Amino acid sequence: METKTGQDPVLKRQTGILQSFFSMIKRLFVKDKPQLSALEEEAIQTPAKTVMKNFLRHKLGILGLVGFICILAFSFVGSYLKPINLGHMETTLRNIRPGYNYLKYPSQLVKEGVKTISSGVSFSVGLSQAGNVYVWGTQPVYLLEGFSTSIHKIPEEVKQANIVQVTAGDRHILALDDRGKLYGWGLNNFQQAEVPTNLQSKLNSKQVAEIIGSELYSAVLFADGELYVWGSTMANRLDIIPAECQGHIVKVAASSNNMALLLDDGTVRTTGIENVFRRVPEELQDGSAKIVDLASSYRAVLALDDQGELHAWGDTEFGILNAPEIPSKVKAMAAGKNNMTLLLDNGQVVYWGADHYNQLRLPPRLQQKPVAKVFSTMFQNYALHEDGTLTAWGNKGFLFGTDEQGRDLFTRIIHGGRISLTVGAISVVISVIIALFFGMTSGFFGGWVDNLLMRFTDVVMAVPFLPIAITLSAVVSGKVPEMIMVILGILGWPGTARLIRAQILLEREKDFVLAARALGVKYYNIIIRHILPNIFNLVIVNITLRYAGSLLTEAGLSFLGFGVAPPTPSWGNILQNAQSSAVIEYYWWRWLIPGLFVVFAALSVNLVGDALREAMDPRANQK
Amino acid sequence: MMLNPGLKAEHYKAAYDAMTIKLGLDKSYPEQYVRWIGNTFQGELGWSTLHNRPVKDAIKEPLKNTIILNIFVIILELAITLPVGIKCAVKRGTRYDNFWQVFSLITYSMPSFFIALSLIFILAIRLRWLPPGGMPLTIHGRNFAYYLSWLKYMALPIITLTIISLAGTIRYVRNAMIDALTQDYIRTARSKGLSEKVVIYSHAFRNALIPVSTIIIGAIFSLFYGAAITETVFAWNGIGHVLVKGLSNRDFMLVISMNLFFAMLSIIANFVADITYGLVDPRIKLE
Repeated sequence: METKTGQDPVLKRQTGILQSFFSMIKRLFVKDKPQLSALEEEAIQTPAKTVMKNFLRHKLGILGLVGFICILAFSFVGSYLKPINLGHMETTLRNIRPGYNYLKYPSQLVKEGVKTISSGVSFSVGLSQAGNVYVWGTQPVYLLEGFSTSIHKIPEEVKQANIVQVTAGDRHILALDDRGKLYGWGLNNFQQAEVPTNLQSKLNSKQVAEIIGSELYSAVLFADGELYVWGSTMANRLDIIPAECQGHIVKVAASSNNMALLLDDGTVRTTGIENVFRRVPEELQDGSAKIVDLASSYRAVLALDDQGELHAWGDTEFGILNAPEIPSKVKAMAAGKNNMTLLLDNGQVVYWGADHYNQLRLPPRLQQKPVAKVFSTMFQNYALHEDGTLTAWGNKGFLFGTDEQGRDLFTRIIHGGRISLTVGAISVVISVIIALFFGMTSGFFGGWVDNLLMRFTDVVMAVPFLPIAITLSAVVSGKVPEMIMVILGILGWPGTARLIRAQILLEREKDFVLAARALGVKYYNIIIRHILPNIFNLVIVNITLRYAGSLLTEAGLSFLGFGVAPPTPSWGNILQNAQSSAVIEYYWWRWLIPGLFVVFAALSVNLVGDALREAMDPRANQK
Repeated sequence: MMLNPGLKAEHYKAAYDAMTIKLGLDKSYPEQYVRWIGNTFQGELGWSTLHNRPVKDAIKEPLKNTIILNIFVIILELAITLPVGIKCAVKRGTRYDNFWQVFSLITYSMPSFFIALSLIFILAIRLRWLPPGGMPLTIHGRNFAYYLSWLKYMALPIITLTIISLAGTIRYVRNAMIDALTQDYIRTARSKGLSEKVVIYSHAFRNALIPVSTIIIGAIFSLFYGAAITETVFAWNGIGHVLVKGLSNRDFMLVISMNLFFAMLSIIANFVADITYGLVDPRIKLE
């Protein structure tokens, strides 16, 4: 004990000197407050002040208050800064784990010189001039034995071989070495990352022009114009190449369910399922326009002819067919899932289309330095400048991952928080207003009014809460997604009403009410101006604790599907589809993160409520 | 239901009208209501469209499952909360007390589905000790393996429900005990030189039991309440799960009867609690 520095007499004296020094300075500027005894304090302090003071002494309560303010700011400021598009979903991006590194390319790749970059849903693969393969981003699928390998685990053969081409499918990667050997890794549920045996024999005998990875399928285009497609082709029949095209193909633009083929005579053919993608303009089929380059987004195709003219067809969404004015000749073109990119002769990049992941917010660097090459696939875009540096833009990632419809969980949790916190608050306000009315009238008037109101309260109280809340919300919901707050409010008041009544019965007998009555103050005024302020503390504690409860109830009901109606998010209904054991096991972020938010919010409110209750406990004021 | 292509619109109309009369929907609302009350008093609860049999039969099995589940929960709850609550009150402010205070505050702030999902993740998926949910198969016959499989399937719902019930109850018991311990008769008992054990269990706890008895009564009646969320997460064929399923499938006769059942239950529970209060505490006289 003696060794403790705090016990050191010299140190103690020093702090003593310091303290007296500071208090001297303090006395110079601040008027000294006289020390009060408990009774004196009571005489000059309102009860609310005492409560405040007691509360501020409570460490856990302060912690809870800070936590709750953080949650409030996160939800309300966050939803102002990050607006939500309730209709938006992108099933390609479904069930991706949290990660915010989609665009964080390794500096080693830039040092070695970028040859090509290709992106999947949540990762990108790059090939350096030195023949090294780099993968960055987030693992897009859970790893299931036999179905998938990690995209980050580049096979040993690939590391040793001299790779000349790489390409990324949505969730798999293909690499080709200089001896014509093809390697694949990543998701392999349709064998898209494996080389079929009949392709192997072709690879051995023929020169490869291009390898193509796309959504659940892969393709190889040979230098002699033959195209080979494998993977998930059952529904879209992309593996069947029209006989008149086979052997004449010079360029392929691949989309999820379609492919656009550029033939050696400058005409365009399409394969895949019947949709707007297949409606190739006449002039591109009859040879009147000679096409030299192609790019395709999800359901739209952009073609460039030898006159420098652009042709576009397909789905019109996101204005993807409306190319902006182009000041110079087009040098190269590329297409993401919902975006088109043009590289002009003067080194400028023209980019348009959807803006769900801030793709259209182009980095200023892009316009300042001339660009040599653009690589844009899926939602990630990279521009290689002439000085060898790289600029990336597009989807940076999902901080909390995505759900089963490819929606960003971070945004949904922010907005879900706003809805959950609001629904909880309004339901409490409704129930407290009803409770105040019932509690105060019956407490103050007594007699038959009291009897009537309290029996009614008993009836409501006898109704089991959860079953009737579920029943009511199943019946009335539909029109307003947040209908649940009214139901919770209407059912939640009896407990508070009884509490208020009991408290009023206590206050009513006190002398100040007698005095007010003697002065002839009206009943109404006695209730509102004399009694209400005295039970206010109690009501506030009750509101706080009730608020935590109503957050939990809302989450539980929404979880069952009887609360806030989707697509409006709430913390509970984000979890609605998280009940299967597959989600619990593999997609842990979909239930763990929103769940933790509910716990955190309820816990911080409970801490505040507990601290308030203790602050109001007269026993806590005893000194 | 009728997909016969030869049927015309008037046939459908006739079938519809016949059904309306059969279900009594052609009568006025007050008459329907009186009929319903009459039927209910005779124990005739109507027809469950989801289960396609009388409501009475449809809820028999789930009610049994819920009761079996809750027996274990209540035993565990009381076996844990009473000693822990007492010890917390006696050792007020120590690390032991603080641990349980924090524990109850955190679990009190957890939605039940979150506790359930976390337990499934840890105990069923990561450790593979228990099945993640569902009902035990009944084809084995009533041997040891059969009861063991019941226990296995019940384990996770029981743990979840126990954790949920612990949170509030421990605090309640602790506060009741603290109130009792600060009374004057405890000082008297101590000054008489009684041992601490006698003071705590014989003097303080007996008096603390008065408020605690409400909880015990509530627990006994909660045997029949299903936990809608927990049972749904674990796919336990209990009465709460049946209510949720009935609502999702718009099986209104089932839902109405179950709400009626729950309301009656809670009225009886309140009544019994009031009476016991009077019995346990002789100072309270019922007028």
